[in-house]
Amino acid sequence: MKKYWHIIKNCAFSICVWSVFVIISVGVEEWLDSVTMVPAIFALAVFLISLYTDGYVYGIVASLLSVLVLNYAFTFPFLKFNFSIPENLISAIIMLSITILSSALATKVKNQEKIKAETYKETMRANLLRAVSHDLRTPLTTIYGCSCAIEEKMEDLSKEQLLQLIRGIKEDSQWLIGMVENLLSVTRIDNTGVKIVKTPTVLEELVDIVLMRFKKRYPGQKIQVDIPEEFISIPMDAVLIEQVIVNILENAVQHAVGMTRLELKVFTKGNQAIFEIIDDGCGIEKELLGNIFTGYFEMKEKEAPVDNQKRSMGIGLSVCSSIISAHGGKISAENRKEGGCVFRFVLDMEEEECE
Amino acid sequence: MSNLHKVLVIEDEQNICNFLRTVLETHDYQVLLANSGSNGKTMFLSHNPDLVILDLGLPDIDGTELIKMIRQESEVPIIVLSARSNEKDKVLSLDLGANDYVTKPFGTEELLARVRAAIRSNRFGGGVRPASQKFVLQDMVINYDARIITIEKKEIKLTQTEYNIVELLSIHAGRVLTYAEIVKKVWGYSDSGSIKKLQVNMANIRKKFGEKPGEYKYILNELGVGYRMNADTEENTE
Repeated sequence: MKKYWHIIKNCAFSICVWSVFVIISVGVEEWLDSVTMVPAIFALAVFLISLYTDGYVYGIVASLLSVLVLNYAFTFPFLKFNFSIPENLISAIIMLSITILSSALATKVKNQEKIKAETYKETMRANLLRAVSHDLRTPLTTIYGCSCAIEEKMEDLSKEQLLQLIRGIKEDSQWLIGMVENLLSVTRIDNTGVKIVKTPTVLEELVDIVLMRFKKRYPGQKIQVDIPEEFISIPMDAVLIEQVIVNILENAVQHAVGMTRLELKVFTKGNQAIFEIIDDGCGIEKELLGNIFTGYFEMKEKEAPVDNQKRSMGIGLSVCSSIISAHGGKISAENRKEGGCVFRFVLDMEEEECE
Repeated sequence: MSNLHKVLVIEDEQNICNFLRTVLETHDYQVLLANSGSNGKTMFLSHNPDLVILDLGLPDIDGTELIKMIRQESEVPIIVLSARSNEKDKVLSLDLGANDYVTKPFGTEELLARVRAAIRSNRFGGGVRPASQKFVLQDMVINYDARIITIEKKEIKLTQTEYNIVELLSIHAGRVLTYAEIVKKVWGYSDSGSIKKLQVNMANIRKKFGEKPGEYKYILNELGVGYRMNADTEENTE
């Protein structure tokens, strides 16, 4: 279906451009009473068609037609085909050459764009991989080191020391779990290549899962929930959206210094569900705000290593943004006048497909 | 308990086995270990365990095959260990007869809660409604004969459908029922809109129970999979 649509689009474009230029040629001929401009006008038409259609076919067909029309209508003898005159033959050859060369050029440019986009994606992936592997070393050092210490010095360690080492192991493995969930989310988007699978998800149930998961990790942190009373079902990949909300909430807990209130608010506006995560902490620095969702991927190799928590913020928010864009939604972050900041993302409520 | 519950763990990863054994033994369960599917099969047949904990990713036999095999023999509760973000596997295992799943990585609390719930669910008779009996969960009481549900001794007015859903879940307390399974048993048929119908009913039930997201204590949420009636009173929020 898509393929046919493509062909139709290309054909329509070619026919339109070509007809317009034929009309222009006739107009110019009438106006100046001369046919010297006409070949140049046709050359332009053929060039445009080759440039903006896919492949060589449309350009070549247009140029052949142009040669015929030129020969028939605009060269001596008028309204008759005559290929015996060398001038006509030469103009036909030139026309065809223009077509083939410009088509080749256009294809090359298009290919280069594709390669560029792929290279960009590849770079992002390499950056991610490098950054992640770098990040993984820190918690692994703790886990490995602590367990070695426990194994070797079991008897010499006081109960308190032992507990401290074990807590270190637990904390850093929790951090690792979070990191792995994020990486899995990224692969869940990337691997399929196609769009993500959306299933209608009940907002209440999603919020429930998020709160449960969050409570497990941060038992002390209260979250104020403000969601509509009515039954709301939003098509989404619930595992991924859950990850987005958890990431943003975690980000607030770790970075919103002085936070006393954390709120998860969802409301609907027309056909859209708007999710807001609001805190009253220290807000986000202006320089960071610009690339807060892309920072992690674009990080330079030589940048000074930051501590674990800051780094995890980077990957968490980057993952959020790729999840939301895979859903065809929008995500943004801004500081509030009252202090603190708000992360906002928007999802479409339109059901694309029922189960 | 004088009689220790026998738990058969079928898992090929040695470290996870050690972890499971330690946790379960320190909580008064008798643990049998099988490091492969075929091994697990023989151990199951010879030892008649009270609970099976089964890893889906075994080297020799597909875990789901094992579930089928066990279900042909008995109604013993089965808990599946699975990876997160794999709803398909979860739903398939549950539909084949597994009682519950625990997602890797999991903590001891979570595991023990599931184990308690699964063993308890078996005591309820594995889905057969006990005649003239009441179901009690914390401050909720279901009177099966009168079809009345009370919370803190106050009657909760439910529609027929809503009551049927709650009753069904309570009969299988501790066990995750998939959306499809509930729909089939409550409505008798399923169409494209039936899962949504179930979800709307569930939202109403929760409203009537006075439960808020993040604090569900009667009917727990298994997002993308189904619902489960809480069966573990020691389970606080998990």
